[in-house]
Amino acid sequence: MAQQRIVLRNCGVIDPMQISTYLDRDGFKALKKALAGVTQEQIIDEIKLSGLRGRGGAGFPCGLKWELAGKAQVDEKYVICNADEGEIGTFKDRYILERDPFTLIEAMAIAGYAIGAKRGYIYLRAEYHCLLDLLKNAIGQAKEGGFLDQFDIDIREGAGAYICGEESALMDSIEGKRGEVRYRPPFPPSRGLWGKPTIINNVETLMNIPQIIFNGGHWFSQLGTEQSKGTKVFSVSGDVKKPGVYELVLGSRLRELVEGLALAEKVKMVQVGGATGRIIPYEMIDMPLAFESILGAGAIIVFNETRDIIDIVYRVMEFLAEECCGKCTPCREGTEVMVEILERFSRGGGLETDISLLEEVASAMMLSSLCGLGQAAPIPVVNSLQYFRSVYENRIRQN
Amino acid sequence: MEQIALTINDRQLSASSGMTILEVAKENSIDIPALCYRQELSPIGACRICVVEVERSETLVGSCHTPIAQGMVIHTHSKKVLQVRKTMVELLLASHCGNCFMCDKANICELRSIATDLEVGLPRFQVKKRYYPVEDASPFIVRDLTKCILCRRCVSACNEIKKEKVFGIAYRGFDSKVVVDFDQPIDKDVCRDCDVCISFCPTGALSKHGEIGEEKKGEPLIISG
Ligand SMILES: Cc1cc2nc3c(=O)[nH]c(=O)nc-3n(C[C@H](O)[C@H](O)[C@H](O)COP(=O)(O)O)c2cc1C
Ligand code: SF4
Ligand code: SF4
Ligand code: FES
Repeated sequence: MAQQRIVLRNCGVIDPMQISTYLDRDGFKALKKALAGVTQEQIIDEIKLSGLRGRGGAGFPCGLKWELAGKAQVDEKYVICNADEGEIGTFKDRYILERDPFTLIEAMAIAGYAIGAKRGYIYLRAEYHCLLDLLKNAIGQAKEGGFLDQFDIDIREGAGAYICGEESALMDSIEGKRGEVRYRPPFPPSRGLWGKPTIINNVETLMNIPQIIFNGGHWFSQLGTEQSKGTKVFSVSGDVKKPGVYELVLGSRLRELVEGLALAEKVKMVQVGGATGRIIPYEMIDMPLAFESILGAGAIIVFNETRDIIDIVYRVMEFLAEECCGKCTPCREGTEVMVEILERFSRGGGLETDISLLEEVASAMMLSSLCGLGQAAPIPVVNSLQYFRSVYENRIRQN
Repeated sequence: MEQIALTINDRQLSASSGMTILEVAKENSIDIPALCYRQELSPIGACRICVVEVERSETLVGSCHTPIAQGMVIHTHSKKVLQVRKTMVELLLASHCGNCFMCDKANICELRSIATDLEVGLPRFQVKKRYYPVEDASPFIVRDLTKCILCRRCVSACNEIKKEKVFGIAYRGFDSKVVVDFDQPIDKDVCRDCDVCISFCPTGALSKHGEIGEEKKGEPLIISG
């Protein structure tokens, strides 16, 4: 398998400030094709056929989401592009937005037509304020070019909370409320922003849409594995010689990315998927990168032999405790309990009973938390106990 | 109204669509504990005590806010469910002040009663305790947030029943707090003779000023050896 540019095809090629350079690369042809005689159902069928799944972490089938929203018989609907990119170690959405805002705009307009929405929002991470002018300029040029006659795009800036990347908290935030998680059902495609049917997709997910419409869903479904079609953009960081953004066909091996492209040496472990992502030891580096094995939002953080697993897990847990919205008991209290236990271990302490307490809290959090943050927060801890248990046991013995 | 067939704890039941799992359970005398839910308020979904196992769902689901669906198979008291509920209560107790013996509401505290039902004893988790000074500036209400378990019933009760919107949530994570305005001690005139939030609080966090008697009540019990 190899690198292939679908999502990043225009990055570094076009001028993000000049729509003409985008038009030269078949820009807005997919939208034109969609608006000229293709029905809404046909577009959704094409997306379903492509097998495209969400790139924001959860991997929900994109076509299915659109279909649910498309079917709702309501006048007002919304399309949201999730550009909150708060995950530790992810910077791919920023890379994309900086270099190719036009494809995203075209994709949102197609999404709007497909589900019958007239308005879309880009929810931009607070720290990406520097991209605001670039995005506004791109939207302005698309409007002038007559590409947004039936669909309006607005930008909403976040205020610096990781949890506002979670879809329901994000919608609360756009509505002007405190960004906090809502229970589901109802899911956004039936009741989302302002209570109206809404689809919310990650930047990278949307970036695939124009290409799928242009080349057909079948073309896209030829790439990748059984359950993971297309490519994935990875943000690689940590102990590597060449950190950066790489796009690979799904199913490529983690080793190819980490050692082959990013030139990592003496790797001890890799965290795949950000703060709540799995941590795997070097022995498992031949795993394929796909939804059926390991993927997440595409953050790849590499640690070499000088790194201490407990330190890493402790710091990640501190981050999650800090970013927890505070609504539900397991996450609000559980992350705090874990921070206290891990802090003890990181200082060289730790008791025999701490390991079973960690496991008990982890299990309760994963089973009962209200959202993905609390449900996935224990994953690094659980992995570290699975693959590096002896490190904990040594600390206890030395204590 | 459409009828939905479902199974709870191996019993085949039928109920109207739109009902939540908790409502159906209650109607059939199946007792699911709930801490943040109250019939008079819309579901909050915060405490997670009411979770149940629904077959084919990866996680447990909150019964107070999850609507029933055709063919659902539910277990309300499986080992997995009970273990999670116990951990939940233990977590709440771990950061709780624990001064039950001097709490006016000790005998009507819902947290204590659920803890007793689930046989949760002294919490094993070492975690910092929440501490806030008692707010007693208002003549109508005393807030002792050290005892608050963040169920948010007071927020909903004020919003939905009195429509005054006195309370909000501030800060994040473990530091989350029910606040008034920009985190001022409560002293609102609208709270005069209201008591709605007090009646909804499951713990001793909200109460009225105690009546201090002028008479001497008796000698303290002195135990001599
Ligand atoms: C705590 C938390 C943070 C999240 N942050 C992001 C984010 O920054 N960007 C994103 O696209 N999705 C994020 N998600 C996932 C979204 O909730 C949602 O699943 C996603 O935007 C759906 O789009 P997709 O189907 O295209 O992936 C987050 C989820 C959780 C639980
Ligand atoms: S899991 Fe954490 S972040 Fe998610 S709703 Fe619960 S407290 Fe908030
Ligand atoms: S004050 Fe009482 S009702 Fe309000 S959140 Fe705290 S425990 Fe719940
Ligand atoms: S009673 Fe259902 S979450 Fe609190």
